Amino acid sequence: MAKSIEDFLVELDSNSELLKAYKQDPVATAEKFGLSEEDVKLFKDKNWEEIEKRFTDKNKAPRVIHY
Amino acid sequence: MESTAKGELVIVGTGISVSGQMTLAAKSHIENADIVFMGIMNKVGEHAVRKLNANCISLDDLYEEGKSRALTYQQMTDRIVNAVVAGKKVCAAFYGHAGVFVTPSHDAINKVRELGFSAQMLPGVSAEDCLIADLGIDPSKFGCQSYEATQFLFRDYKLDPHMTQIIWQIGLVGEASLSVLNASHNKPGLALLTEILLEHYPNNHELIIYEAPTLPISEPVIQKIALRDLTSAQTTLISTLVIPSLGLPAYREDRLAKLGLTEQQVVNYRNPTSNFEGN
Repeated sequence: MAKSIEDFLVELDSNSELLKAYKQDPVATAEKFGLSEEDVKLFKDKNWEEIEKRFTDKNKAPRVIHY
Repeated sequence: MESTAKGELVIVGTGISVSGQMTLAAKSHIENADIVFMGIMNKVGEHAVRKLNANCISLDDLYEEGKSRALTYQQMTDRIVNAVVAGKKVCAAFYGHAGVFVTPSHDAINKVRELGFSAQMLPGVSAEDCLIADLGIDPSKFGCQSYEATQFLFRDYKLDPHMTQIIWQIGLVGEASLSVLNASHNKPGLALLTEILLEHYPNNHELIIYEAPTLPISEPVIQKIALRDLTSAQTTLISTLVIPSLGLPAYREDRLAKLGLTEQQVVNYRNPTSNFEGN
């Protein structure tokens, strides 16, 4: 079973060797990690916007009121 | 007073990125909690927390366009406090540093303590920490003033242009209703901010609009613009404005003299290879 893109991103964020490999070859690193073809395609297409959109909601970033 | 109730609260920060900036202590508190409340804004960050503890509840469902964030933050606080009162060992995990630019974390700690329960906040990696690393700015070099953007506009602050200025939440600058969740209403606020800054800086002074990366595949956003162009800058709700210093202020010779020093002496002390004795 394919591994999730969430697991890949968590691992990339905490494994310096995996991140180094990713920076040298994002697609091969995503494939080797075990992502699905559909998720690997996001890296092949360099579709960073879609990845960002899928996971980050900047509109829910504010946490403070001071004025 | 010693707390005798069973419920307790620990508030942790998960860092700005999805998992790599979480401290070992934060991770342990998440793993060992009965329930974890998450204010993380990033699904991968939430995934990282859920892997540590299956009993997680997001707080982000409380945001709604058109609803006051003041109410949202009260509801976040109530959720956290109610779980402690119910006798749970509660961990609340906020992205970044849980105590930096976060209203419900401080409110929850205060309420829980008022009710006689134990409450603690752990430090985390904040957006300011990322900014310092990504922009290579040492806040001690010129001194640093740091403000929430709308508060800076509304209150009578004294800006010192010799110091680095960091103005947070410019995506919402001047937005008083607290009911919008996007950066499309900030043009009047940016215009007023520009007006204030022009009292202190030339119109070609270079400013930086910064966004810390939240995913490991992303790079920091570093947008350099002239002050005169600030109103037309593209911002999001995680944009921060950095205004570089105009340079260090002059030495105060009267203060140096009171310590028996001269400007030349302290300059020499700062450069020991040119004169080790400082004379």
